[in-house]
Amino acid sequence: MTGKKLRFALFILLAVIQLAVAAGAIIRSEISLRSGEVFRFKLQPVDPVDAFRGRYVALRFAVDRAPVAEGTPPLRQQKIFVPLVVDDEGFTIFGSVVLEEPESGAYLRLRSGGQFDDENGRPVVSLALPFQRYYMTEELAKEVDRSMWRRGQRPAWVTVRVRNGTGVIEDLFVDGQPVREWLADGGAEQPPAPVPTTEP
Amino acid sequence: MSKRSARWLLNELSGLVTDGVLDEATAEKLRARYQVADADSGARLAVMICAVFGALLIGAGVILLLAHNWEHLGRPARTVIAIFPLLVSQGLAGWVLVRKGESTAWREGSATMLALALAAAIALVDQTYHTGDDLESFLWRWSLLLAPLPWLLNSSSVAIIFLTSLTWWAGAARVDHLEVIWLWPLALAVVPHVVAVLRSDRRGLRAANLQWACAVFLCVAAGLGLEWRVPGLWILVYCGLFALMIAGGAAIRRDEEGLWRRPFEFVGVAGSLVLWLILSFDEPWRNIGWQHIHDNDRFHQAASLFDVVLAVGLPLAALAVVALILDRKRHSLQMFWVASVPLVAVVWPWVASGDTLDAKYVTALAFNILLLGVGIATIAYGVRGQNLGTVNLGMVVIAALVVVRFFDADLGFVAKGLAFILVGVGFLIANVIMSKRLRSAQRETP
Repeated sequence: MTGKKLRFALFILLAVIQLAVAAGAIIRSEISLRSGEVFRFKLQPVDPVDAFRGRYVALRFAVDRAPVAEGTPPLRQQKIFVPLVVDDEGFTIFGSVVLEEPESGAYLRLRSGGQFDDENGRPVVSLALPFQRYYMTEELAKEVDRSMWRRGQRPAWVTVRVRNGTGVIEDLFVDGQPVREWLADGGAEQPPAPVPTTEP
Repeated sequence: MSKRSARWLLNELSGLVTDGVLDEATAEKLRARYQVADADSGARLAVMICAVFGALLIGAGVILLLAHNWEHLGRPARTVIAIFPLLVSQGLAGWVLVRKGESTAWREGSATMLALALAAAIALVDQTYHTGDDLESFLWRWSLLLAPLPWLLNSSSVAIIFLTSLTWWAGAARVDHLEVIWLWPLALAVVPHVVAVLRSDRRGLRAANLQWACAVFLCVAAGLGLEWRVPGLWILVYCGLFALMIAGGAAIRRDEEGLWRRPFEFVGVAGSLVLWLILSFDEPWRNIGWQHIHDNDRFHQAASLFDVVLAVGLPLAALAVVALILDRKRHSLQMFWVASVPLVAVVWPWVASGDTLDAKYVTALAFNILLLGVGIATIAYGVRGQNLGTVNLGMVVIAALVVVRFFDADLGFVAKGLAFILVGVGFLIANVIMSKRLRSAQRETP
């Protein structure tokens, strides 16, 4: 094979990989969105900007650590599986971290942060959740940010579709309404609604 | 033939005809041949610059349009918008590779377009599905998918985009305390392209720009890529890096003139000056060495080891280039500018061993003397070679040292005053000796 032909073949290979990376992300997300189980994650939002991907609402989760079972070797930036448990209010909390893929129940495949002891002296691991941004049009993202902080902070959560360890954000809720409806109904001008405690 | 060489040939022609080496007809033919080439290369350069900037601006515009977030379009439409520009740019780049491989403008333009279409595709998928994490995750995926492009498409603009994205990623990852050791192996992806460009068109614009990008990248990446586990190891790394840039730059140079075409030497000299000024204070020498090693599991074992490899390898490589490649007579100026390497090789272990309190003050003083010595040597070299630029460089070194010491709050006024007067007297004595020599030389040659 001549140099030029080899180069062209390698370029085709690279082009396929580039397409596969983009398409793979689309397919993975679509599968989770279409057939994943729904979980609600409680959060506290703010709004910065990303030069490439536009405006987004940065999602800070109310629960961002998971307990580590006794006897687990110390975790340090490695692949872990975190079982998802629904609490009495209908929000998601994390079960004890495991290193092998669970055979039953919903879970997230994540990379662990550092391990440390919580206030009660029990070992926990910090989690970098893969869905930390909710992208919106520039006007809406700014409005969400302004509205969220007016008249005190509003209860907010995201619904995430989870399947085979992959979670994809479905929608952002404020005061119990999808964020776009909430903004359309006047946003922060409405009185804060009580947090619903039903299952999603 | 490069523009410079063509101009030289054109200037020589009339002399060659007068001396009877060439007849007028041949000279005329040569004149016609190389003057055309000269005008032609300028036009080709302009076409290439337009192609790159056109692609760059269109690509950036597409990214901005997508960043607006057209969420009402729905997921299927946005998926198509993400993939379509990527497919088109890939097709264009593939076609250029097969049909227009000789045209720099086509290659650079289509490759730049592909690099940006790739960024747009990744970004839009992330945006549509709210996935993809932080900016550093985006930059990392982009860099990985860009890495083979500079060589495959023979594109220097993509090489520069790639190095920028990689550096940006390392900076963002550093801020978040993430591991950046992969910076080095991934950066090696540009080496085949750099070698190819230096081989084919050493004096061209692409070679100069690429070398600038590499020099600046190395400068920034050396800081970002370090694990910083052993305090003070950066001193060895940067002394070695700048010395290697100066010596290596001189070694690979043929007869390129002007600062723009000698980026490694320029960055090496400027970097050395700043580094030495910093090291002329005692502060950087406090608490360095193995006795102060950071010991918690935030640090990565392999990355820490690689720091040591750089700290030992870069100064050794610089010394090797000086000893084996550089010509002692022709490159005597470069010899002065790598003097910091043997100096740190002695003082760093001495300060790090922590035996005496005075070690760091003596070392800081040694760097003051080094700056003064290299400044004087540079001026002397410039005066001897009648090179105003070199004389000015030497004066900048001494002026920077004077300014820094004048405002140094750690020294007493009396000590500073005496030192200034002493050095000033030294310059005046040198002045008297030189003018005496000048007069006697003038007397000898009536």
